[in-house]
Amino acid sequence: MPELNDDDIRVLAKAVNLDIQDSDITDVKHSLNAMLDAIESIDPEGINGIEPLPVIFQTGD
Amino acid sequence: MNNQDLVFLSATELANKIREKQISPVEVVKAYLDRIAVVDPKLNAYITVLADEALVAAHEAETDITSGLNKGPLHGVPVGVKDQIHTEGIRTSSASRIRSDFVPDVDAAVVSGLRKSGAIILGKLNMTEFAMGDPITSAFGVTRNPWDLSRSPGTSSTGSGAATASFMCASSLGEDTGGSVRGPAANCGLVGIRPSWGRVSRYGVDGASWSLDTIGPISRTVEDCALTLGAIAGYDRRDQYTKDVPVPDYGAALTGDVSGLKVGLIKEFLDPDVMGVTEPVRQGVLDAARLLVSLGAEVEETSLPLAQVAGVASRIISSVERSSLHPEWLRNRPDDLHHNTRVAFTAGELVPSSVYYKAQKLRTMVRRQALEAFERFDILAMPIASEPATIMDLRPGIPSKQAAVRALTEGSYRGLFSMVSGPALSICCGFSTDGARKLPLALQIAGRPFDETTVLNVAYAYEQNTNWHLERPPELN
Repeated sequence: MPELNDDDIRVLAKAVNLDIQDSDITDVKHSLNAMLDAIESIDPEGINGIEPLPVIFQTGD
Repeated sequence: MNNQDLVFLSATELANKIREKQISPVEVVKAYLDRIAVVDPKLNAYITVLADEALVAAHEAETDITSGLNKGPLHGVPVGVKDQIHTEGIRTSSASRIRSDFVPDVDAAVVSGLRKSGAIILGKLNMTEFAMGDPITSAFGVTRNPWDLSRSPGTSSTGSGAATASFMCASSLGEDTGGSVRGPAANCGLVGIRPSWGRVSRYGVDGASWSLDTIGPISRTVEDCALTLGAIAGYDRRDQYTKDVPVPDYGAALTGDVSGLKVGLIKEFLDPDVMGVTEPVRQGVLDAARLLVSLGAEVEETSLPLAQVAGVASRIISSVERSSLHPEWLRNRPDDLHHNTRVAFTAGELVPSSVYYKAQKLRTMVRRQALEAFERFDILAMPIASEPATIMDLRPGIPSKQAAVRALTEGSYRGLFSMVSGPALSICCGFSTDGARKLPLALQIAGRPFDETTVLNVAYAYEQNTNWHLERPPELN
């Protein structure tokens, strides 16, 4: 995934009606790029067949 | 015994002596208030000290006990409570400017539980703003680690760790989303348990992440931890996710017998090349494993390959869930948030739904892998962090994307069992030294969902055969 830049962060923020402060943009960019990069690199076998549910009490608990 | 020395008794010892009328709860509360007056200016562990209320409660406890009425196992014992946990008529700030005037009408379920067991609420403890993972964000100032004032006391229950370790309360409550009970317990040389998700009601607790939050005790001994957990555990119809199952007598389960118990050591967290564990931490955990073997436990290494991604997945989940709780704060009061909190909330709002979904898928896979391991082992053990308490960087901001990635990776040490949703406990397993300072090391012990008794008993067996819990931080007079 390409790195998000400052303008990308502004556009994303605008899309959720958030008036992001200039002083926050670099740190938001670092934080968001870290999360996106890290999770993109994780691709365990079988993940596509898993339901994305935060199931807490499963059978056998 | 000098009255000032009462603070050095464990909560269990205090409760026993109070019950047997050897000491008065009034003397005990006064001793703690004196201690707070001397020590807290150095640590900043308390946001609110409830001196008057605690003394009134102590006099009531004294009257009750004198007349033969015993309210419960913590009768007369002073306890501190993290400031995201509601207390009727008492400010509950979540260490934020935004909530600095919030006074709840009702006690949180866990506070009711403490009061029913006779505990005296001594005060509201500092924390990171809205229970974020950064130690510098509290609107009431940074809390210091009593072992080394320059280092983090562990987040987010910073005050719970610092106050308990420095004898400013007999036991405390924290809230653990991705390690906020276990981290402060580890950094401050204490015992902290994250109970199973659904074991303890979260009614009346300002949320951080709905699918990960738990309330747990931070205490100086395993007995104290068991005693405190017993006071707050149990089904509560006001929290739909509490499970209606019996609460064992945790204290009675502390036999210290671990013979034949199967313990799996998660090898990824003991390999410096995989998760960056440092040598003092690794040695502390391996020494603890050897001790458990000498006590009759069967210990073997096991692999949980997906455990390494637990930090990334759990941090993404908590980041999104946290920022979704009060989106209006970011829009209406951004300047009332610490810079780092505002950045974290903003980043959480901008995470794509596909990424959040993938993190939830990973959670399911990580959890399955851990539960499969629990079919072979009674207990899983590993470090609680790659290194002891680190020096706090008081400058706001995120130095780089790489630093943010490292924080996500380090989060796997604690995020793993947050996602499994069973109990996980941190206990001191030695000390490393840095110059003149001793820094606590910690072992993490985790169990099957709702099997807190085995986790506590293994910790108890370990504690009874070591002296780490008898060590004290340097005096701060």
